Amino acid sequence: MSSPDAVECTGLVRRFGEREALAGVDLRVAPGEVVLLTGPNGAGKTTLLRVLAGVIRPGGGRAAVAGHELPAAAAAVRPLVGYAGHEPLVYPRLTARENLELYAALYGVSPEAVAPALERVGLDGRAGDRAADLSRGMRQRLALARATLHVPEVLLFDEPTSGLDEQGRALLGRLLGGSQAALVATHELATLAAAADRAVRLELGRVAA
Amino acid sequence: MRAVRALVRKDLLLELRGREVVPAMVVFVLAAFVLFRFALGGDRLGGGVRAATGMLWVAVVFTAILGLARAFAVEREHRIWDGLLASPIDRSAIWAAKAVSTFAFLVVMQAVALPLFWLFFLQQADGPSFAVLIAALLAADVGIAALGALLAGLASAGQAREVLLPVLFLPFAVPLVLVGVQVSIGTIPPQTADFGTVRELGFLALYATIFALLGWALFEYVVED
Repeated sequence: MSSPDAVECTGLVRRFGEREALAGVDLRVAPGEVVLLTGPNGAGKTTLLRVLAGVIRPGGGRAAVAGHELPAAAAAVRPLVGYAGHEPLVYPRLTARENLELYAALYGVSPEAVAPALERVGLDGRAGDRAADLSRGMRQRLALARATLHVPEVLLFDEPTSGLDEQGRALLGRLLGGSQAALVATHELATLAAAADRAVRLELGRVAA
Repeated sequence: MRAVRALVRKDLLLELRGREVVPAMVVFVLAAFVLFRFALGGDRLGGGVRAATGMLWVAVVFTAILGLARAFAVEREHRIWDGLLASPIDRSAIWAAKAVSTFAFLVVMQAVALPLFWLFFLQQADGPSFAVLIAALLAADVGIAALGALLAGLASAGQAREVLLPVLFLPFAVPLVLVGVQVSIGTIPPQTADFGTVRELGFLALYATIFALLGWALFEYVVED
């Protein structure tokens, strides 16, 4: 029996009040596949990633991650997903190390995984610095370390290139080149094209033809 | 439990480094004591012990609201909610951690406020039974923290959160103040603690238990979008 799709959406809908952020998204991401999600501002990219990460509930249609239906099996989905949002999702007054130790505890990961994770993103020399004192690009690296600390099966990244320098982008390329499936919302198609298998365009909450 | 411990540690570290909540609570309660002392007639203390203990409990409740208003401020201002909600923890763990850290902040505030209360209002009376008074305050703190963390989570999702929290919290605080005043009066001579005091302490413990159970059970729905 083949493994389930990493991501599967059929007619996925999500509304915020009267506004329909997702208006029937149909999308599949195969295991190990890297898919770029493009489209104009307000197309629904961030909302789609937040639904798939189990942060918000779908409003209709079907969404599943690694074969687990959302929202019913959200508890099974969350440990499988590495979600890096538009913001770094780290506490500015905690150090880089303390931030990862916190998330290690939340994900049930050994604190010993923190040092290698910082080293992977080139922050081992800044582990004791507060996140607020790191540059935008370094905070983005920290966000990537946070999202991949628990070795997830599916990566959901929202604008991961923002603030990253060339080394940071190379690091992102290496992360996307692993065995995990990835759905990456980005406006920088050219930067990430080499690491991706295909791109999907979202417009007005739907996958554009 | 590991997640709750880590989240509490995070809150305590953030407070140690930012000093945003506890110093404000201490200054607020001190200012409230000064104002109440003048309002109650200075040295003559119009209204006697009942007025003084009533003032103590009202000050505790309002100071708690001040702290609770900042309970989820960092998560909201830096949009860290998504990081917590995407993690595979029971969402009630977020409530539990916030309730524990709120309880700790209240205890620190009261460790400063209680001696000041005695100094400002009861200097001429015999010393109160501090053990009973502290037990009452601790039981009330558990209830305030449990209920407050739940309502602060609810208010943090709303638009007018600064207004919403006190409006939601104060009606629930009424029985706490009524019973807290009754217990406190019994601790100050010539009154003595009796069976009524035990019953009132029992009520405070029951209040804390009910809101702890409600907080644990309902927080998931509170943070549900």
